[in-house]
Amino acid sequence: MKKTIAVSSVLVLLALSPGGSGLAAQKAADERLFQEAKLLIFDKDWRAALDRLEELRDKHPSSPWAGPALFYKGECLIGLGGREREALRTFKEYVGLAGANPSLVEEAEGRIIDLAFALYEKKDRSAVGEIESRLKHPGKAVRYYAAYKLSLVPDRTIASKAVPVLERIIETEKDRELKDRARIALLRISPESLRAAEEKRPSQDAARMVRVRVWKKGQKSPTISLNIPWALADLALQAIPDEEKAAIRKKGYDLNKIMTELAKSKESILRIEEDDSIIEIWID
Amino acid sequence: MKMCPMTGKDRAALLSGDPEEAGRMSMKEHLEKCPECRSEAEEFRRLLEGADGIKAEIRAAVDSVDWEALPARITDHVFRQVRDPEKVRLADRFRGWTASRNMKPVLAGLVLGLTVGAAAMYLALRTPGPGSGLPVGYHASGEFLDRVEIELARRQTLDYLEKSQHVLRDIIQAPAEPYGSLIPLGSERARDLLQTKRYLNPQLDKFQMVKAKAICDQIEILFLELAQLSEDLPAAELRRIQSFVEDRQILLKISLVKKELQRESEI
Repeated sequence: MKKTIAVSSVLVLLALSPGGSGLAAQKAADERLFQEAKLLIFDKDWRAALDRLEELRDKHPSSPWAGPALFYKGECLIGLGGREREALRTFKEYVGLAGANPSLVEEAEGRIIDLAFALYEKKDRSAVGEIESRLKHPGKAVRYYAAYKLSLVPDRTIASKAVPVLERIIETEKDRELKDRARIALLRISPESLRAAEEKRPSQDAARMVRVRVWKKGQKSPTISLNIPWALADLALQAIPDEEKAAIRKKGYDLNKIMTELAKSKESILRIEEDDSIIEIWID
Repeated sequence: MKMCPMTGKDRAALLSGDPEEAGRMSMKEHLEKCPECRSEAEEFRRLLEGADGIKAEIRAAVDSVDWEALPARITDHVFRQVRDPEKVRLADRFRGWTASRNMKPVLAGLVLGLTVGAAAMYLALRTPGPGSGLPVGYHASGEFLDRVEIELARRQTLDYLEKSQHVLRDIIQAPAEPYGSLIPLGSERARDLLQTKRYLNPQLDKFQMVKAKAICDQIEILFLELAQLSEDLPAAELRRIQSFVEDRQILLKISLVKKELQRESEI
């Protein structure tokens, strides 16, 4: 009902406006289709939204909404599922449009990377080329995202192509979240490159390594064995399994206390012993 | 050169540990006198000492082998698999050859060699034990890194929702024109948040984050709108977005999801 009221109010305003004849009626029709499609997208009614957008582009190809409609068409194709190739073509078409909105172009590039990755996972090996080619994109947001996504490719030869961009993020970026993501990605594909990138940083903590071992009594190998940069320590400690977290809590520790104790001294080793497990955390 | 009274047959008996043969003479006395046999026994002792040097578990494995029965079991197993008549004839010849008393030491040595080799390979390839052989450089399993990424996503989603609330509150409270810097600022923040959301998507698809995904997707659609806005935004368009955020109770939904995420996973 509210949708109808909102759309009707736009129509009424346009009809009452000066010179609101044929041109106004056409403007109302294309804008109405566009706004309806966006509301349907918000409610994830992809099929109905796609119908509106295709009608808009078929009937009003010169409308100012026809360009953005192409972007949203891509969104609908993703939402519908199973139409990744068509969606990828649609976003590429949008990126190539003259006068396309820069914000939507950047979003479309991100969607292309996601779709290429999804196609690669469905055994379309050539799709990964779309990601690789974006490692040299002029926009750093696109470049960074391409490197992050490429690091998730199981084939190490392909994934390692992301290393230079990921190293660059650690060395030059100020955004902590981006740097942490780059660290995790490098830890996944090239731990030695992470070490080199960390050591280039001027920070005092850069070279510090946190080691975590969790032993189950009676087992010769640790169930968890981590050597990670200090910058990821709090994330890693938060990510340990619930059972070990419960043991840590039981001994009166929380994340802040652990981090404070570890930061005190390079030699200190935190050892938490429970009924059937031993947790050791120390810094080198 | 003094001839040794032990024949090759006797030595075979000694090495194979056949009690019937070994009982024919006092081995200890003979070894004291005979350098040839002593040298051979010494060689055998060294071989066993080498095996002793291996960890207890390997010794246990060696002890568990029925040395008497093993050669016969191996040959039986080999010949059981032969089906071709020609091969059977060859096999019969081989069985006869291995069954001869002279070949027992060779077989015993072969089996011992295979066992020691297998043990050495086991020691070389097995998972390192505590305090030794653990990686010294950066390392973490893929499974653990997935957990770390989920934790990172949980924190970033909280941050994303927090910032989204600020942007949407500003939009809701925006006066009628002129907007001043409000719209361009909101538009810029929306673009930043869209970038953050892109990295969150893979984790939001996982079951731990399903509740957050729905609201984050809805906010994303709103931010796609906001990211395209400029200072010359028509008042009607601003009112449309304002009423949409209020009608769908987006801010309330964000608060609820935030609370749920904050409760999870704290040490």
